[in-house]
Amino acid sequence: MTRARAITLNAIGLYAVALVLAAAFAAQFILQELPCPLCLLQRILFAALAAGPILNIRFGPRPSHYALSLLAAIAGAVASGRQVLLHIMPGDAGYGSALLGYHYYTWALLGFLGAIVLIAAILLFDRQFEQDKAVLPATGGVFAQIAVWLVIALTIGNVATTLLECGFGACADNPVAYELLKRDS
Amino acid sequence: MEFTLLFLATAIAMLVAWRGPRLLALGLFGVVLIACAATYLHHATDTLKLSF
Repeated sequence: MTRARAITLNAIGLYAVALVLAAAFAAQFILQELPCPLCLLQRILFAALAAGPILNIRFGPRPSHYALSLLAAIAGAVASGRQVLLHIMPGDAGYGSALLGYHYYTWALLGFLGAIVLIAAILLFDRQFEQDKAVLPATGGVFAQIAVWLVIALTIGNVATTLLECGFGACADNPVAYELLKRDS
Repeated sequence: MEFTLLFLATAIAMLVAWRGPRLLALGLFGVVLIACAATYLHHATDTLKLSF
C-alpha cells in the first residue's frame, strides 16, 4: 500500500468517526435521549480515534500515530464492554432505546472492536511507512481536509452539548434534562 | 464537568495535530487517553451507577 493510498484510507476512517459522532447527536436531539456519563466517555474515545488519522494526513503515516488510535480503541472497548456487562442480567431493559436490536453501547463495543482489527490490518502494510517518489497533496487534499474539520467541528459541538447537559458539576447518572437549561421553579 | 473538559482537551489536541508541532500533539493525545482511563477507573470504583 502506497503512502497516498494509506492517507486516503485514513481520511475514510475520519469520515467513519464523524458518522458515529453525528449518529450520537441524532439520537440525542431527535430521540431526546441524553447520554449517560459512560456513554459520554465512549463518545470521547470515538473522537480520540481520530488522533491517528489526523496525524497521518498531516505528517504522513507512522506506526506511532496508529498506536494512539489503537490505544483509544482498546480503552473504548473496555468502557463499552463494561456498559454491556452492566445490563447483561436477564430482564434488564438496558439504557436508552435499541437500534436494530442492539443498544448504542453494544454498537459502540462492535465499533471499537472493528477499529482494533482494522488498525492492526492497516499496520501490516509496511510500504506506507517508506518514503516514495509520489508527490502528495499538501495536508492530504480537499477530501482529507473536509474529514479533519468535520471531526473537529463535531468534537467542539460535543463540548457545548456536554456543558449544557452536565453544567459545571458532576453529570447526572441518569440525565433527563439539560442542566444549564433548567429554569428555577 | 470532567466530560466537558475531556471533549475540550480532545478538540485542542486535534487542532494542535492539524496545525501545531507533532510531538506536542502526540503528548496531548497521550494526556487525553490517560485522563479518560483515570475518569473511567474513578467511576468504575465508585458506588455511583454510571448507567441505568
